[in-house]
Amino acid sequence: MTLYAVIFYVLAVVILASTLLAIIQRQVIHAVVYLIVSFFATGLLFYLLGAPFLAALEVIIYAGAIMVLFLFIVMTVRAESGEDKGEIYHWLPAVVLAIISFFVGGVLIFKIPGSKMSLNTGMASPATFGQFLFKNYWFPVEIASFLLLIGLVGALYLGRQESKKESEDRR
Amino acid sequence: MKTILFLLLSFPFLGGFILAVIGRYLPRRVAEWIACASVLASLLMAALAFGSAGEKRYLLTLFDWIQVGDFSASMTVYYDRIAAIMALMVTFVSSLIHLYSVSFMRDDRDYVRYFCYMNLFVFSMLVITLADNLVFLYLGWEGVGFCSYILIGFWYSDVVNATAGRKAFILTRIGDVAFGIAIVLFFLILDQLSIFSINSKVASLSAGTATLLALLLFWGAVGKSAQLPLVVWLPDAMAGPTPVSALIHAATMVTAGAYLLMRLFPVIALSSIAMVTIATVAAFTGLFAALAALGQKDIKRVLAYSTISQVSYMFLAVGAGDVTGGMYHLFSHAFFKALLFLGAGCVIQALHEEHDIFKMGNLRNRLPAVFWLYLVGSISLAAIPPFGGFFSKDRILLSTFSHPEPIYKFLALIAEIGAVITVLYTFRMFFVAFLEKPSAGEDLAKKDLKIPKFMVWINSPLALLAIFAASLNFPEAFGGKAWLAHYLASIPGGIPLFPASTPIERSMEIGSGLLNIAVLIAAYFVYRPEARFLGWPTPLVFRQRLEELLSSGFYLDRLYQVALVKPYQAMARTLWLKVDEAVVDDQFDATANIFRFFSFGLQLWTTGRLSTYLKMLLLGFTAIVSALALGWYYLR
Amino acid sequence: MIVPYGDVLLLAIILFLLGAVCSISRRNLLMILIGVEIMLNAAGLAFVAASLKWSLLDGQAFVLFIFAAAASEVAVGLALIVYSQRRTGSLNADRYDSMKG
Repeated sequence: MTLYAVIFYVLAVVILASTLLAIIQRQVIHAVVYLIVSFFATGLLFYLLGAPFLAALEVIIYAGAIMVLFLFIVMTVRAESGEDKGEIYHWLPAVVLAIISFFVGGVLIFKIPGSKMSLNTGMASPATFGQFLFKNYWFPVEIASFLLLIGLVGALYLGRQESKKESEDRR
Repeated sequence: MKTILFLLLSFPFLGGFILAVIGRYLPRRVAEWIACASVLASLLMAALAFGSAGEKRYLLTLFDWIQVGDFSASMTVYYDRIAAIMALMVTFVSSLIHLYSVSFMRDDRDYVRYFCYMNLFVFSMLVITLADNLVFLYLGWEGVGFCSYILIGFWYSDVVNATAGRKAFILTRIGDVAFGIAIVLFFLILDQLSIFSINSKVASLSAGTATLLALLLFWGAVGKSAQLPLVVWLPDAMAGPTPVSALIHAATMVTAGAYLLMRLFPVIALSSIAMVTIATVAAFTGLFAALAALGQKDIKRVLAYSTISQVSYMFLAVGAGDVTGGMYHLFSHAFFKALLFLGAGCVIQALHEEHDIFKMGNLRNRLPAVFWLYLVGSISLAAIPPFGGFFSKDRILLSTFSHPEPIYKFLALIAEIGAVITVLYTFRMFFVAFLEKPSAGEDLAKKDLKIPKFMVWINSPLALLAIFAASLNFPEAFGGKAWLAHYLASIPGGIPLFPASTPIERSMEIGSGLLNIAVLIAAYFVYRPEARFLGWPTPLVFRQRLEELLSSGFYLDRLYQVALVKPYQAMARTLWLKVDEAVVDDQFDATANIFRFFSFGLQLWTTGRLSTYLKMLLLGFTAIVSALALGWYYLR
Repeated sequence: MIVPYGDVLLLAIILFLLGAVCSISRRNLLMILIGVEIMLNAAGLAFVAASLKWSLLDGQAFVLFIFAAAASEVAVGLALIVYSQRRTGSLNADRYDSMKG
């Protein structure tokens, strides 16, 4: 049991616990906050697995931007609280299916060769990563930026205040 | 010669075809002209062929029709002497009846349909007359049956007429099945479908095969010519227009059965069992029909039963081996029966569609010309000398009597009784319908419909022929020239198998002639208007039952209804309700219900709720991953 | 030596299924979206592990693209949620059933 393994298992427990708590929460804000914890831990895990750049990005984008966005929306939108009482028939099918998939997935994982092999440590420095990225995957990078532009425009349009004329048109 | 025969067949066919296609758009007179002209042209061709044929026989192929592997059926005609005179008779009588129809149907709006089918009928009948190839003959056979069905049910808006047409078609069909089987057997056994070749190869048939074939052909003829037991359609067929009854059910179609047997006579003559059967059935049919005719009230039904009876004489002739006698009677019967039917048509029309003879009377003053024509026809029918009907019927009786087998003597007796009753019913019909009634005479005449003179006078050629038909074959025993016998001597059966010796011939003819005249006088005393009663003085109840027995044709219709029709209908109803609806339909319904059940189940998934669809996504994901795992697990 | 490769994948799968369960069984539109985010994150984790195993950087590049897609998707999705909430006044997924039948 190397140190790295210990760190890994601890982080794994944290991630799982916080995610589990997140999906159980009745209030959305609580769920979001738990999820932020989960993403932080995931970022650390990325660092452990040799992707420091991605670790930083995980924290900045996922935990920092996306979850904050969620928080904004949650606080802006008045959600009625009496959402659902958590009846069993809502979550039972999902849980059953999930358990089945878990077992099947487990079988799959432990059948592939090399799953028992321990991962070597490694570190991809941001510079290396950046060179690699722009050498091989420059086109998808452009597309990704385009995608972000579209998202931006879409969000702007959907979020605008409707003028009186438009609401009358709709009626 | 080939052209003449080809034109002979094509003229009526073309006439019918043109009328079928554009008859509606032509003016009435033009359509009628086309119909009559085509049949008259046919008559001309028949006369030309007759004149130019002489002694020769012709076997000509007009058209190659079916050619499949080894089997070929071409439209071949075998023009020998019997075909020659038959064609002449058919075209002649058809022309007269077409001309008669022009004025008979003058008020009917469906004249195009009528003349089209009449023309097609003439074509089919000529095919039967001339055909050599049996399949070609079968075409004509079915054609006459079909045209008969259409023309019987011509006024189809009345259900009774349509039913009568159907009845005729079904019953003749029962006979046609046997004929079809016979054709197949001919092909299988003799490898031949040509009448000429069959007649030449007849020696190669065993007696048993010949019996089978002859009986099958006879059954087909029984259907077409309305002999027992397929007899019940002919009285009901009187629902059609009177010229149709005259043409189809007196002169041509009903004689087609006898004609077929005469054409294939060598086959039939080979089997004595068949000959006896034919003669027996014929004799009893004749007696049956004569008795039934005695009880009829409708003038056309009397004539219908009379036709059955007279056609049975032709069959009796074939059964006794005398084709010439059969043809002789066929001819004279065609003339006088057509005359009687057409005369009856005049009477019916003039009296506003009155069919009951007991409601007619005093026609001597109202329709004088028809009176005399009808008298000629009646005398001929009743076989009173010296008109043609006497000599033809007597010749047949003679041939039957002179047959060596003892049963034939018995059959000759039956036929003679039938002949006596023929006189009775004929003159019952004539005296009741035509003579003066003691009461209510003159006002009836005023209410009569005026019928065109043409309709009446067109019958005169037939009357003349009925009178002088005797000269066709005046028996040599009395010093006449038996012209027909000489003419037909060359065809098989032309010379009777058992000719009678001259003394017997003389005594029989004189004896039966006197007998008929005596019965005629007796009939006058019984049926003259002043002394009107059906028969002998019996208690009222018994007489009524006797009348019912006779007028319903010995309850034959009822018998068929109970024995055949009702069980069939019951079976059909059971199959419909119990099998078709309960089993077949319900199975379909059950299958459909399964689908309904499934789709109802599927309907539960279309909730429109997001969560449901997401659940389905996860389900799909699980399924795919499981499939992958299974594949991986088992492939490793 | 860190951990066996299979363990990391197992973690990824559990995370993914947690996200799936959240997405399916919650009625609140926001929770559904959060479930989607969890799933994307799990996928990214799997990619990083694979990239480390094979010593290839392609996996990490792909994770970058996942981040980009997730970000824009969240932006648009949240805008949609706000818009729908304004229109129908409810964040309950069950209210949006006009496509029923």
